[in-house]
Amino acid sequence: MVHMKKRSEGALGIALLLPIITIMVILVYYPIIKTFSYSMQKMKLTAPQDTGFVGWANYRSVLTSDSFWYSFQNTMFLLAVVVVLTTVFGVCVALMLNVDTKLSGVLMAAAVLPWALPPVVNGIIWRFIFHPGYGFMNKLLIVFGVTDKPIEWMSSRFLLLFVVALVVAWRSIPFSAIVCLSGLRAIPQELYEAAKIDGAGRWTVFRYITAPLVRPFVGIGITAASISAVNIFDEIVALSGYSDLGKNLLIESYLTTFSFLDFGKGSALTYIIMLISAVLGFFYLRSLGKEVEY
Amino acid sequence: MKKRLLSILLCAALTGILVAGCGAKKNDDTNKEDKTTETKEITVMVPDWAVPSDDMLADFTEDTGIEVVMNVVGWDDIRDKVAIAASGGAAAADVIEVDWSWVGEMNSAGWLEEIEMSDEDKADMPTLETFTIDGKVLAVPYANDYRIAYYNKEHFKAAGIEKAPETWDEVYDALKKIKEAGIVEYPYTMPMNADESATTSMMWMAFSRSGQVFNEDGTLNEEAVVDALEFEKKLVDEGYTDPAIKTASGMDCYRKITAGEASFMVGPTKFVGLSNNKEECSVVGQIEAILLPGKEGTSDKTMPLPEAVGVTKFSKNKEAAKEFVKWYTSADTQKDLFKANSSIPTRNEVLAELIEDGTIENAGAMLDEAKLIKSPFPQGIPAYYSEMSNAIYNNINKMVLGEVSAQEAFDAMNKKVTELTSE
Repeated sequence: MVHMKKRSEGALGIALLLPIITIMVILVYYPIIKTFSYSMQKMKLTAPQDTGFVGWANYRSVLTSDSFWYSFQNTMFLLAVVVVLTTVFGVCVALMLNVDTKLSGVLMAAAVLPWALPPVVNGIIWRFIFHPGYGFMNKLLIVFGVTDKPIEWMSSRFLLLFVVALVVAWRSIPFSAIVCLSGLRAIPQELYEAAKIDGAGRWTVFRYITAPLVRPFVGIGITAASISAVNIFDEIVALSGYSDLGKNLLIESYLTTFSFLDFGKGSALTYIIMLISAVLGFFYLRSLGKEVEY
Repeated sequence: MKKRLLSILLCAALTGILVAGCGAKKNDDTNKEDKTTETKEITVMVPDWAVPSDDMLADFTEDTGIEVVMNVVGWDDIRDKVAIAASGGAAAADVIEVDWSWVGEMNSAGWLEEIEMSDEDKADMPTLETFTIDGKVLAVPYANDYRIAYYNKEHFKAAGIEKAPETWDEVYDALKKIKEAGIVEYPYTMPMNADESATTSMMWMAFSRSGQVFNEDGTLNEEAVVDALEFEKKLVDEGYTDPAIKTASGMDCYRKITAGEASFMVGPTKFVGLSNNKEECSVVGQIEAILLPGKEGTSDKTMPLPEAVGVTKFSKNKEAAKEFVKWYTSADTQKDLFKANSSIPTRNEVLAELIEDGTIENAGAMLDEAKLIKSPFPQGIPAYYSEMSNAIYNNINKMVLGEVSAQEAFDAMNKKVTELTSE
C-alpha cells in the first residue's frame, strides 16, 4: 500500500513537471542543441550549396581572429566598469533608501525608474545627451567652463566604451540597489541595538554588522550586473551603431550571423558568449544559495 | 484525493494546450493559405517611404482583385527578417524591399524570383542594370537614388565665386574661400561615420574622381581608392567638415546643406525636393543641384543607389506578387508615388515628364545626371557586399578619426576585400 502511494506520488510529480519540461525542451534545450549543430557546420546563407560538417573549424576561426579578441577586450572593459559602477552606486542608493523618511516612497519610485526603461530607449536618450554637436553633456561642460570645445564622446574607443558602461550601469543600479536594500532590511534590529549598547560607532557598525550581512546580496547584484554587461547590445547600437570602435562580443555575433549571414561562425560565437554567461550564472546561483547567519 | 485528481487534470490540460499550441501552427497556415488563394491576398514588406497611399492600393485591388497587406518595417530590419525567414524556407512577405546592396547576396542565396520585363521597360530604367544578374531581372527599382552634387549659390557668391564648380579642385578652392571669408565654419559635408553611407561616399568619390573603384576581379583599385581617401582626409584635416559628422548618421550629414550650415555636398536625389520644401530647408532657393565634379571637368558617371521590390522565392502567391511589382513600378504608379512619398521615378521618361511639367521644381542637373548612371561594380554587386562594406566603412572612420593614414586605411580594407574575392 505504502509502495503504491509512493509510486502514485512519483507519477504526480512527473505530471506536474511535464509542462515546464516541455517548455524548456522546446524553447531552451532544442535551440541550444541546434545552435551547437550549426556551429559545427559550414553554413553561409549566401552559399547554400557549400555546406557541411567542419568540426571545430568555426571555433578555431573565431578564436584566431583579431576581430574576436578586439571585441573580447571591449566586453571585458565594459564588464569591469559596469560592475564597479553598479556595485558602488547600488550600495550607496540602497543605504540612502534604507533611511525612513516621508519621501521614501517617491525616492524608491525615482530610483527604480531607469530599470523600467527598455534598453534601446535608454540608449537613445543618452545618445542625445552625449551628442557631439548639440548634446546636453557638452553644453553643460561648456557652460561650467570645463571645456571650450565640444567633446567627441563617440570618437575614441575607451571614451565611447565608458559612456556605454555608464548608460548600462544607470539601468542596472536600481536592481542592485533593491537587492541590497532587501538585504539591509533583513538584518535584525537587535544586532544594531546590541552594538549601540556596546558603544560601537557608525563605521564599526557598518564594518562588522551591515557589510558582512549584506555581502551575499551585493554578490547577487554583482552577478546580475555582470550578466547585463556581457549582454549589452541595444545601448551600443543606439550610441555608436555597429562600428568596430565600440563593438562587443554580442555585436560581433550579430554581425557575423545576420549581417554577413554566416550562421556557422555566428553560432560558434554565440556558444562562446553562452559559456562566458554560464560561468557568470554559476556565481549568481552560488550567491543565491549562500545562507546569511545572524 | 480530490485535490490530487484536480492537479493531474490541470497538468494534463496544460500539457494538452501546450501540445495543441505547438501543433496548431500548421493548421493555421493551411487555413491562411486557403484563404489567401481564394482572395489573392499578398503581403508587401517595405520601409515607410515606399508605402503607396490607401487610394492607390484600393485602385490596385479593384483592378486586379488582389488584396495587399502592407507590412511596414524599418529599412535595416527588412534584410534580417528576410534572411531569418528564408533560412527556415519561409517567406517574410510575398513582395520585399530589395536594396541595391542586398541583391548580390540575395541572388547567391537564391531568395529572389526572376521577373519578366519588356525590352522597352528595360531601356527606360537604367538602374535596372543593378538588379540584373546573369541576364535575369531579380527586382525592379522604384526609387531612383543616385548621387548628385548640391551647392549653395549664395555662399559661393558671398565668397566671390559666380560659377558652379566643375572639378574637385574647384570645389576645394571654393571651400577654402568660403571658410576664410567666415561665411560658414564647415562648408563641406559628407558621411564618415562607421556605417554604410561612408562606404558609398568613398565609392562615389573614387568613381567621380578616377572613373573606377574596383578592378575587374572585384578587388579595390588602389590608385582610385587611395586618391579618394586622401582627398577625404585632406578636407577633414584642414577643418572643412564639422567634427561631429565623424559619428553622425548619413542623413544628419546631408541635412547640413538644407540647414544652411554647409555650402557643398554630394548626396541623394531626394534633396532636390527637400531643398525646395520650406518645412525641411531653411535656405530655400539657395541650393542648386549640379553635375558631380570630376578631375578634369564634370564627372561622366555617377553611382546609382536605387531601391527595388522583388518577389521572394518562398512566396506562395508568386503570380499575384509579380502583378503587384509590375503595377508598383509602372509609369502611372511612379507619378503617383512621387506625389505620395517624393519617390524619384526610376523611369527616365517619367522623370523627364515630372521635371518638364514643373512637378519636380528646381531640378537643376537631375535629368542630365540620371543619364550618366553607371554601376561601379564591374561584375555586379558581390554576394559578400555587407562584409566588404563593413571593412571599408570601419577603416574610413578610423582614418577620419586620425587613427590611421589614407594608405593604412586602404591596406586594411584591401586585405579584407582581397580575402573575400579569393573566397
